[in-house]
Amino acid sequence: MKQVVIRRTVRSDAEHFLAPLTAEMDRTGRFPVQWRLFAAARQYFGLEIPQDLGGAGLDAVSACIVIEEVSRVSPAMGLCISVHNGVALYPIFKYGDDHQKERYLRVMASGDAIGSFCLTEPNAGSDASSLETTAVRRGDNYVLNGTKIFVTNGGVSAINLIFSASLSESGKKVFTLFIVESDRKGLEKGPAEDLMGMRGNPVCSISLDDCEVPLESRLGGEGEGMRIAIATLHGGRIGIGAQAIGIAQGCLDASILYSRQRIQFGRSISEQGAVQGMLADMAVKTEAARLLVYRAASLREKGLEHGKESAMAKLLAGEAAVEAARSGLQIHGGYGYTKAYPIERFYRDAKVCEIYEGTSEVQRMVICRALLK
Amino acid sequence: MHIAVCIKQVPDVAAVRIDRERMTIVREGVQNIINPSDYQALSLALALRAGLGGTLTVLTMGPPQSEEALFEAIAAGADRGVLLTDPCFAGADTLATSHVLARAISRLEPLPSVVFCGNNTTDSDTGHVGPQVAEELGLPQVCGIFEVQPESLQTLLAKRVRDGYLETIRAACPVLFTVKGVSEPVLLPGLGSLQSAFSAGSIVRWGRNELDLTMDETGLTGSATRVWRLRAAPHRTKGEILTGQAHDLVKEILKRLEAMSLVEEEQIHG
Repeated sequence: MKQVVIRRTVRSDAEHFLAPLTAEMDRTGRFPVQWRLFAAARQYFGLEIPQDLGGAGLDAVSACIVIEEVSRVSPAMGLCISVHNGVALYPIFKYGDDHQKERYLRVMASGDAIGSFCLTEPNAGSDASSLETTAVRRGDNYVLNGTKIFVTNGGVSAINLIFSASLSESGKKVFTLFIVESDRKGLEKGPAEDLMGMRGNPVCSISLDDCEVPLESRLGGEGEGMRIAIATLHGGRIGIGAQAIGIAQGCLDASILYSRQRIQFGRSISEQGAVQGMLADMAVKTEAARLLVYRAASLREKGLEHGKESAMAKLLAGEAAVEAARSGLQIHGGYGYTKAYPIERFYRDAKVCEIYEGTSEVQRMVICRALLK
Repeated sequence: MHIAVCIKQVPDVAAVRIDRERMTIVREGVQNIINPSDYQALSLALALRAGLGGTLTVLTMGPPQSEEALFEAIAAGADRGVLLTDPCFAGADTLATSHVLARAISRLEPLPSVVFCGNNTTDSDTGHVGPQVAEELGLPQVCGIFEVQPESLQTLLAKRVRDGYLETIRAACPVLFTVKGVSEPVLLPGLGSLQSAFSAGSIVRWGRNELDLTMDETGLTGSATRVWRLRAAPHRTKGEILTGQAHDLVKEILKRLEAMSLVEEEQIHG
């Protein structure tokens, strides 16, 4: 019952406050400041953080529902809260020390500071271990150097999680994670990428040029970065899965609406078998993906192993989104190929669900690794 | 001060479709929401409580799942909810509904000083329930208010629009208000307060036994009216096409809008 009410509340929020902004967001690529204030007031930026730390205190499935419903209207803003909550705020909550929690949790949960997660580099994508950003200890500080690219939320982030590599005493390459504020000297943001979809989310590069951060900025121990990154991505994939089913549902709802209105051969095209078949397939795949996403979320909620399950959920949900967008556009016909209907935007937005937070190929790798273990 | 608010869960009319063959509302897949004017009543009650302090109790009569509406009201700021549910309450008309609500209100401790109801529901739209509850409880009633302010500890000033005039009414407690046309946008509760409302569990359930009602006083048997037949009314509005120069047409249209009191003269010339 609680989750039903949360879904309805967020859907109503999204349809009233977010839907009117989507076309302009897509056209200009600008992040909507007014929505940020609204979303902050509704606690979208602190979904799973306990209430005494300034969050909404939701369970993992409810958090998915929020991301899903925002994405059903605006995938770009669904992405914003998914990344902020799932892979920026959550690792600080989970792995941060008391000082870090005190310093960052409240400002992030309140939406005053938006977070980003910086892993990808020009030469390190799916193969994260080849990353070249370095962290060198200098007294009580670390000096960071390197370039991070495709940083979701980058243009508006105040707090960034930076993955870096260094050589251990035994000469082994180890990975360490740092919390770096955007106003640190030596941190420079590039211009927003001109993206195919998800426009409105300011994705940009972040370069670190002798960026000095204090010891207290280190999240977890030296060399713990990869472990934290993998655990974080398991959760992050659930968020992206939720985002993808939101997109799939948005495509389905738009297609149902359109197919009822569109009259051809003297009747609405929703009465045509070919269209009905597409609608049914979209609904089945969306629902199947939704169940996988919720299952992964509920395993995570219970503290159980969920790496394989979140990879499965993200894989199927990404495919469901892309297929729903393709069928949905087909149902819309020529009108779907114009910007007059949101399906064209969904078509561009959906594709990245098969790419970021691990491509579909990487998800299959993760799943298979667990199978063959 | 103890304030009671009566609310009802209704299908979201924005999403409702009519089955033209069966002449019924298609409820499948349609979300239920708190009736909009009940939500306005709740928001006035919350504002009044914020000024005067005290407790706010929400009541609803309906099937068990209407508990959802009470949780939402608690998330919005109400202190506790009373769910009036019993299989024998089903099929109640406005009289039988008012009877159950009035009995429940009379059992609240302490007795509420102010009772709020929405003016009318979006699903049946009778506007009967508020006034009937007031009659049954012997309370004075002020219907269709959009604002209420405390004047003293025992008197309230309520505002409503009647026949184009703004009335301010001084009402002594205890009193029942029905609410409509609140101009402030009603903001739904945030995620955190929804989460807390559902985990707090401050809802009691009362059925026919708890309220000491007989079968004859409730539901279909307790109803004085019965819907005999329902048919779609033919509705055709005749359009009127004006022709001429744009400038003259604008004047002409404004004249007509003014005659219908949809715009004021100042707005036209200002």
